Amino acid sequence: VSSAAGGAATIVANSALDRLGRRLGYDERSAALLILPVFVVLAAIALFPIVYSFYTSLFDINLTRPWRRPFVGFGNYARIFADPNFWIAVQRTTLYTLVTVTVTTLLAVAVALLLNEAFPGRRLLSALVLLPWATPSVVNGLMWKWIYDPGYGLLNGLLTRLGLLDHYTVWLGDPDKTLFMIANAAIWKQMPLAAILMLVTMKAIPEDLYKAAKVDGANVFGRFWHVTLPALRPGLMLVLVYETMISIRHFDLFLIMTQGGPGNASYTLSWEIYVETFRSLKFGIGAALSYILALATFGLSYLFIRGLGRKLA
Amino acid sequence: MTAPARTSASRVTLARSVGRGAILALFSVLLVLYVAGPVGWLVSSSLQAESEITAVPPNWLPPHPTLGNFEAIFGAGKRAVTYENRWRGDVATGRFLPSGAENLLPSLWNSLTVGLWVALLNLLVSITAAYAIAVIHFRGRQTALYAILVTRVIPDIALIVPLFLLVRNLDLINTRLSLVITYLAVTIPFTIFILISYFEQIPRDLYRAARADGCSHVQALAHVYLPLSLPALVASLMFAFLTSWNEFILALILTQNIASQTLPIVISGFVMDFTTSFSFVNAAGVIAIVPPVVLAILFERYIVSGLTAGAVKG
Repeated sequence: VSSAAGGAATIVANSALDRLGRRLGYDERSAALLILPVFVVLAAIALFPIVYSFYTSLFDINLTRPWRRPFVGFGNYARIFADPNFWIAVQRTTLYTLVTVTVTTLLAVAVALLLNEAFPGRRLLSALVLLPWATPSVVNGLMWKWIYDPGYGLLNGLLTRLGLLDHYTVWLGDPDKTLFMIANAAIWKQMPLAAILMLVTMKAIPEDLYKAAKVDGANVFGRFWHVTLPALRPGLMLVLVYETMISIRHFDLFLIMTQGGPGNASYTLSWEIYVETFRSLKFGIGAALSYILALATFGLSYLFIRGLGRKLA
Repeated sequence: MTAPARTSASRVTLARSVGRGAILALFSVLLVLYVAGPVGWLVSSSLQAESEITAVPPNWLPPHPTLGNFEAIFGAGKRAVTYENRWRGDVATGRFLPSGAENLLPSLWNSLTVGLWVALLNLLVSITAAYAIAVIHFRGRQTALYAILVTRVIPDIALIVPLFLLVRNLDLINTRLSLVITYLAVTIPFTIFILISYFEQIPRDLYRAARADGCSHVQALAHVYLPLSLPALVASLMFAFLTSWNEFILALILTQNIASQTLPIVISGFVMDFTTSFSFVNAAGVIAIVPPVVLAILFERYIVSGLTAGAVKG
């Protein structure tokens, strides 16, 4: 009797599996198997850290006293928002991001306009433009630090030679200048990718639009304003979102060029995360700061996409 | 009557095209100076001795070009630097050899191996996922794509705390493996994005024909899609290698000894140690810049087409 029941159960189970198999066809099963490796990797090194980071941010973890790690709820967040240093970091990050994104985008449009023209040597030029993009950020940092060197740097030499400066000036060491000097190094490296993205969008504009504008009597500037610029919106949105995300989280140049200084002149959010976590060993505060930065990045990209998308419609 | 009119008209177009040429030439020169000038000066400084790079006003070109800085780097492993002998180091570096100089070559090797592993594994895992999302019309493919892409919105700096704790708990601190694994999280989403855009451009009739002939999905991928997407595959390998070669913050956190440190970490150590001579640091910088720049210029076409595929879709 029991074996008959067992057999019946097996038949029921098998038919259930068959039904599931039929509902999940060959396509679904293959897709699941083919995607699985990526999901495993990303779950372990992207999804898990995001969740774990939030969990960590709820505890007062300080590696200088590893045995005591009390649960503080949103206490870390409250402490961060009450800390004047955090608001200084927000201000520095905002200024740096605004300058970097604006100048990178404007330069990228100008370079794309140039590379969109047909002239001898254009191919060589567009290959050369990739040079900053390929430069590792550490080398980018050391190169500009050397160019800005107050004693022997190229910048002082060049400006003195051109008669724009009558004495050697301190650049990175001047709190009023340092953020702009770092932004300049970042812009140099980020411009090529933005320019290529703009160029791709430009190339997709139908020639007929320009012809029609010409027939209507529009000059070069009129054609740029009425044809090129509106058609550039999708590329512009992509560049703005991408550059904002890159700039707001940027870290490498701050470590290599100024270490947050002089004073707190380049004390940005990413630098604050690094200092709180790996110098003060306050992992809870560091995780909470990371979460704030991640949410800010997320929110900003969403706003950009919503805002520019609406204008598009 | 018509002949002179035509001449003046062609003169106007000639003047206009000369003007256009002059403007294009001017902006091209400005762009070349902006893009190549800083790197040019880095190279020029790396070929000068310490006494020459500290000249005021600066030497634009090396007065007596020397490979001394490079010899110092490539010969550093042969001698131990001690407090007594470091002032009697190479003449080219002002008789000063930074104490970590012998770390440069091992870190160069680490950078190469990590980069190659990342490029290879990244492609291997991404190909199948990109095929599934681009080609197989299964339910939830859009969700799967968003789930993959959204991981890139999270800043790397926000991931360092949990990743450091994770890697430490797995006992993988100071291993190249920890770098390979974490870099994959950075490169995979972008690679999948590029490959999907490329796969979607391949005519669907080819896919239908292959399936009608009894090909499985894996066979369709191997026999139809892969042979047709060589540019995208090369671009993906390149991007992953360059990302790995340039990566800084994860390597800074996860590796603390020379068995695992990559080139950017060792170089950043020199930059922040203000006793290190700049001629030596510049030479190290030139060494770090050569592989990515050579790759970027050799594969310029692939890079632009890879980015193009991504941008058109975005």
